[in-house]
Amino acid sequence: MITKTPRIVTRLVWTSCLLLVVLFAVLFLGVSAGSSSGGMFSVLQVILGQSDPDSTMHAIIWQIRLPRVLLATLVGATLSLGGLVFQALLRNLLAEPYILGISGGSAIGAIAGILLGLSHFPGVSLTAFIGSIATLVLILVMTSGQSVLKKESLLLSGVMVNAFCSSVIMFLVSLTQDAKLHNIIFWLMGDLSTADIRQVGILAGMLLPCFVLIFWHSHAMNLLLMGKEMAQATGINIKAVTLTLLVASSLMVSVTVSYCGLIGFVGLVTPHLLRLIFGPDHRLLVPACILGGGSYLVICDLLARTLPEQGEMPAGVITALIGAPLFIILLKRSGR
Amino acid sequence: MVEPALIVNKLPIPTDGKHGGASIDRTILKNCCTTVRLAINISEVMILRYQKIVIVSLLALAGLCAITAQSSAKIFKDQLGRHISVPTKPRRIVSLAPSITEIVFALGQAHRLVGVTRYSDYPLEAANLPKVGSYVRLDIERIVALNPDLCIATKDGNPKAVIERLASLKIPVYVVNPHNLDTILKTILEIGILLNAGSRAVSLTAELHNRIQRVNSRVAQVAHRPRVFFQIGIAPIVSAGTETFIHELIELAGGKNLAEGRIAYPRFSREQVLALEPEIFIITSMARQVVFEEVKAEWRRWPNIPAVRDERIFLVDSNLFDRPSPRLVDGLELLTRLIHPELQE
Amino acid sequence: MNSAVKIADLSHSFGKHHVLRQLAFSIEKGEFFIVIGPNGSGKTTLMKLMAGILKPQTGHVKILGIPNREYTPKTLARAVAFVPQRLPVDLPFTVGEAVLLGRAPYQGALGIERERDLEIARQAMAFTGLSHLSGATLAQLSGGEQQRVFIARAICQEPDIMLLDEPTAALDLAHQIKVMDLMEKLKVEKGITVIMVSHDVNLAAMYSDRVLLLKDGEIACIGLPPEVLSFEKLEQTYGCKLLVDESPLGGFPRVTLVPGRYMDSENGS
Repeated sequence: MITKTPRIVTRLVWTSCLLLVVLFAVLFLGVSAGSSSGGMFSVLQVILGQSDPDSTMHAIIWQIRLPRVLLATLVGATLSLGGLVFQALLRNLLAEPYILGISGGSAIGAIAGILLGLSHFPGVSLTAFIGSIATLVLILVMTSGQSVLKKESLLLSGVMVNAFCSSVIMFLVSLTQDAKLHNIIFWLMGDLSTADIRQVGILAGMLLPCFVLIFWHSHAMNLLLMGKEMAQATGINIKAVTLTLLVASSLMVSVTVSYCGLIGFVGLVTPHLLRLIFGPDHRLLVPACILGGGSYLVICDLLARTLPEQGEMPAGVITALIGAPLFIILLKRSGR
Repeated sequence: MVEPALIVNKLPIPTDGKHGGASIDRTILKNCCTTVRLAINISEVMILRYQKIVIVSLLALAGLCAITAQSSAKIFKDQLGRHISVPTKPRRIVSLAPSITEIVFALGQAHRLVGVTRYSDYPLEAANLPKVGSYVRLDIERIVALNPDLCIATKDGNPKAVIERLASLKIPVYVVNPHNLDTILKTILEIGILLNAGSRAVSLTAELHNRIQRVNSRVAQVAHRPRVFFQIGIAPIVSAGTETFIHELIELAGGKNLAEGRIAYPRFSREQVLALEPEIFIITSMARQVVFEEVKAEWRRWPNIPAVRDERIFLVDSNLFDRPSPRLVDGLELLTRLIHPELQE
Repeated sequence: MNSAVKIADLSHSFGKHHVLRQLAFSIEKGEFFIVIGPNGSGKTTLMKLMAGILKPQTGHVKILGIPNREYTPKTLARAVAFVPQRLPVDLPFTVGEAVLLGRAPYQGALGIERERDLEIARQAMAFTGLSHLSGATLAQLSGGEQQRVFIARAICQEPDIMLLDEPTAALDLAHQIKVMDLMEKLKVEKGITVIMVSHDVNLAAMYSDRVLLLKDGEIACIGLPPEVLSFEKLEQTYGCKLLVDESPLGGFPRVTLVPGRYMDSENGS
């Protein structure tokens, strides 16, 4: 008897291949465009190793643009995946990766670091990370009275903590002056320009295991959609799975945010976009979010740095400007 | 290795940085140093007249050293104490702050500039140069694309991370830190040396120095120092504390800065300003004329304020007061005219 | 040991509220066992304890002779399948995909379906009459059909015991009978022990082998339908006037509710 490849495996392979092709195309585009000019041809030469390693173009592509697009890929992947996981865990389609106090806590930590005059890496990144973990722990402790896993209490606590942190942030911003204020604002808007290949490598080392872990639990997320009780009754160890997913995604989002600031909308919009295209099965959505979410942010970042005549827009603005109408179009098409 | 004697103003003396072989004549150095040390043995807070001697001696020294230096790149020590290797004749300079652009133009070395920051708006010719982002948000890619052989940065404003990034990309970055008139003049000299315009720098600083001296001597006779409120922010009301150029200029111009204190940019409520009873309001034109009229009208509602009563509310160009460039001296002269109109010749 | 479920000394409280008090009974293999009782008597809690969703605070629940806590969630899921009262009808999957979810206890982490999984799912859908709907999404189905999807899903777990919490509550008459017949078929053809909570005493009378009447977390009565569904027991438990006679279909009692306007006439007791 010929054993057929299970349908999910075929679909997974096709989806991943498609998205990998998209990602590579997008990476090439990202590396070809930037604030200095240089035709596609010269870019191609540099990539294929045919150019002079001392040339400016070489330096620009390998040391400035490549780290940046790789960072955008990682960040887009993390935020999209984080959004997906929180939407499954909290069974709420409005959930996004910053929802459990991560944005508030990391912002306060970052502002503290900036006001103390620390350098971006590891200084401010570290304080931001500590801030986000502190708020996360705070929320977990606050909700541990009732069942930790009860989604409403987790969600509400997260929203409350974020609101509180927002007011603290506004207070700190109102007191700050000049150059430090600039740094704070750029951090709050999200900033991919600080990419350095070594740091990006460290980030990848921390994020990739989280991606794998979450992918391992993707079918569990499917079952979680039935509700915690039914998932438990179908053989999922709810406590272990929820905790693992919660910790893994919170950690990876915290790490990302600590390095790049608060890039908004990616985590909310991309899981929905991808769900409309690829369907609700998390075994497909997890790789889709990683590859598709990464590609999406690379494109948005590309537009953010090439569209304005002077300087660059925050990438989070583009993700929303493109993402929201795109989502509405897809929604209408799918006839829901 | 010869350690060049460093003088209170820490002028960068080019060395070739190699062990053993010194390209600087030790005896000449020693003799100059002795002379100079005499000048130095006065306390750190010197009045400008001593600086003239020091500056001239140093320039002579520097000139000698420059002649004896032999390599095509020199090692300079910038104002942060970093040792930078700079080409002897830098041809592709990127200025990372508007004040530096002004200095380079003032030294007549604009032909060496290949890039400036977005708000480098003075002189007008600077607008034609390629832009590399704003000084708090530099565009590294644009800078690298311009292939500079030297970048000049300021400590305040340019993010440290960017400077380090440029350095890691093998671009020499010379950082200056002008925080008062004294150090501005020093900066002009240093940049002059960097750009092979030493003599031009000397004459420029001498001229600036003279103008400052003239103000000093006129103001020295003044009996009363009017209370000045220098308003740089409209909502909220913000003024300038002791650690700013504005404060130094007000004091030199014979006024009393009402906002002096620890906080660099303190905020005031309207009540606080009223209680201070300023005799002169100086408002900077970050806003446009229309807004200035509104602000003036707002203060006019309080006729008890001496400045309102005497109609001494003035609008000035902010760029004359917040950039550590030669125009700060223009600002000083303007302030003197406004604060002590009776002193005009 | 022939018992499918054996409960001993089971108590459970939520905070200060005691829901179940020292319950003890057992359910035989292959029985159609129905639990009835007024709201708040603890029926759903009992279901969840049996399904392993809640852990007993005192006492134990033995499934197939082994205490609940000695099972892992996966092994327990192979023995017991649970269909709750409020179904997750917002599940975005198709009928086919939703039913396949029930194979999780036999699959690895990624739930990759093999031939056997697909075969069992097909059979379950045929059993529940859903074969023609396998491509439809849940949102497109009627209440009764959605119910059957989750029953089919439960069947895929190849359980020995099927637990259902008020499955007929939201269904119309035809579907009520359909579901109950389905359960009976499961019991008869596959030997599955069916344990159900119901608020419909007549259905309990018609289908069950034994009935448990629960009141305030305690067993008011347990036994064959005619024993339990006597009007004294029912009136005591439910606190309302009832008429109990034998159903015209024969073999089991029929319970009739008595409206208020009949109160002051002959049927006083």
